[in-house]
Amino acid sequence: MRNALLIAELSLREAVRKRLVVVLLLLTAAFVGFYLYGVWRLEWTLDQRAIDAGLEGRSTTGAANIPVMYAALFGMYLVFFLGSLMAVLSTVGAVSADVENGVMQSVLARPIRRAELVAGRWLGFTVVNVGYVALVSAALLGGIAALTGFVPPDALPAVGLILLAITLLTALTVLGSTLFTTLANGIGVFVLYGAGFAGGILTAIGSFSDSPTLLTLGRAASVLMPTNSLWLGATYHLQPEVLRQLGEATRGANPLFSTEPIVPGMVLWAAVYAALAVALAMWRFSRRDL
Amino acid sequence: MLGAVSAIETRELRKVYRGRAVVDGLTLTVEEGEVFGFLGPNGAGKSTTVKMLLGLVRPTGGEVRVLGGSPDDPGIRARLGFLPEQFRFQTWMTGEEFLNFHGRLAGLAAAEVRTRVPEVLARVGLAGRGREALGGYSKGMLQRAGLAAAILARPRLVFLDEPTSALDPIGRVEVREIIEALRGEGVAVFLNSHLLAEVEQVCDRVAFVKAGRVLRQGSLRELTGGVIPVEIVLDTLSSELRSALARLGEVRHVDANVPGRVGLELWVEREDTLPALADAIHGHGARLYTLNPRRPDLETMFLDLMDGQVPAGEVARA
Repeated sequence: MRNALLIAELSLREAVRKRLVVVLLLLTAAFVGFYLYGVWRLEWTLDQRAIDAGLEGRSTTGAANIPVMYAALFGMYLVFFLGSLMAVLSTVGAVSADVENGVMQSVLARPIRRAELVAGRWLGFTVVNVGYVALVSAALLGGIAALTGFVPPDALPAVGLILLAITLLTALTVLGSTLFTTLANGIGVFVLYGAGFAGGILTAIGSFSDSPTLLTLGRAASVLMPTNSLWLGATYHLQPEVLRQLGEATRGANPLFSTEPIVPGMVLWAAVYAALAVALAMWRFSRRDL
Repeated sequence: MLGAVSAIETRELRKVYRGRAVVDGLTLTVEEGEVFGFLGPNGAGKSTTVKMLLGLVRPTGGEVRVLGGSPDDPGIRARLGFLPEQFRFQTWMTGEEFLNFHGRLAGLAAAEVRTRVPEVLARVGLAGRGREALGGYSKGMLQRAGLAAAILARPRLVFLDEPTSALDPIGRVEVREIIEALRGEGVAVFLNSHLLAEVEQVCDRVAFVKAGRVLRQGSLRELTGGVIPVEIVLDTLSSELRSALARLGEVRHVDANVPGRVGLELWVEREDTLPALADAIHGHGARLYTLNPRRPDLETMFLDLMDGQVPAGEVARA
């Protein structure tokens, strides 16, 4: 365990020293600032219209505030998407890059078990990726709350589900890094991510058109890659009642948001899936020649 | 069953990649505290052998024991040092951070790491450069840093894979001194090098490998048939002196073509015969210009073995 923590610490320092963290924070600050400026302008426009209509104010949970609610939801979708990109791109060479450039030989000649090395790499990158997404989520939702007064009904479970998706993506990318070259791993994980997204679209269309086949295909894709299901589960917690009613009225025609909470089994499966991916990576790397 | 006293012991070690045997029944022994040269042409399986000895590659067959145990055991690897041929390290680290990391990986206590890192940096000629990033190091400096990491945790066995490939002549001498110092401390060194002169100078024993098999192994004396060729140049060679020299060794060749000089090649069996040769020459009133015991010529032996010929030492012994 001591060695795994040492490797995790190395991964964290590597992220900082390679300026990955600094670049990300600067770019993310620019993104969040840009987005919040748009939200602020939106809020100002909506307030102006309310005044023009002779109203004294707007309810933060009523239909008049739906544009702000959507701004929060789409903003969180961007956070989820950026976090997913970050999870894959930062971790894609977690093991394979060090094998390919020869760094791994001098490390594994030391008294460290390969399983410890894989666990340490996963832990280090998970801390970076999860920390990043948690920070950006807090900045975005906090910024929207400060500017508009809108707070999603259950922000914490929503962010928790997104962080679980990031943890799973990081674990799968680490697994791929022990199996494939860095490039092949990046392509593979993005294809898998795409499969999960396709599952959400198929489920939405299947639900809208009442097609059992599409629903089955959608469920299969979601089991293969639960990240999109976790996102949809997060959107349920982010939406006030008025938005859920709107979604139900359209029979779930929007594939990016869900009016149903995620089933607990899927949350459990995502957690088990992440643990299995890390365990498989540890097992596989322990048996491979360098 | 292999014994447990040698630094390295392999028997019929094999590694097969995609149906091709890269290491094919390799059997060798390296004793504790000796410097062992591992020689062979490119593609002979040297690097794969080193990787199997370090647990980086799993053998397809055969037995391997390092310091009496399996290289898969972290407890065994804690007592090993390794400088890889491709000395690639985390270039974002400084030299000190790199050694701190390896010291902690090797299980050294924090206090020991603090004292040991400056010591090894100074020993490899990088004193005062430890705070610079490895990314700014020259190839030679990187190789020195790798050597520092290899000896950092006071190993009992050090693997050096082409340790001087990026070094200038001064660096090579320094590495040779480090190897000799390690031997003085009882540390076994497994030296994989193409620089045969370097191997000749520091190795107690060598093994020649080709196509994954050990062709021959032993000390340089054993491999060259146990004789020491001595080159002698005198001003004159009387018949009495020649008889006296013939009693001490075998006169192989006499060259009197240069006026005022007589050259001889004499083969003696033991190094301590050399003072007796000088005594005999002076005793017979001859002036001695050269008395040069030649080291066994590893390069000739290497080329003969790799060409499939019988080495010179074999001829001499026969």
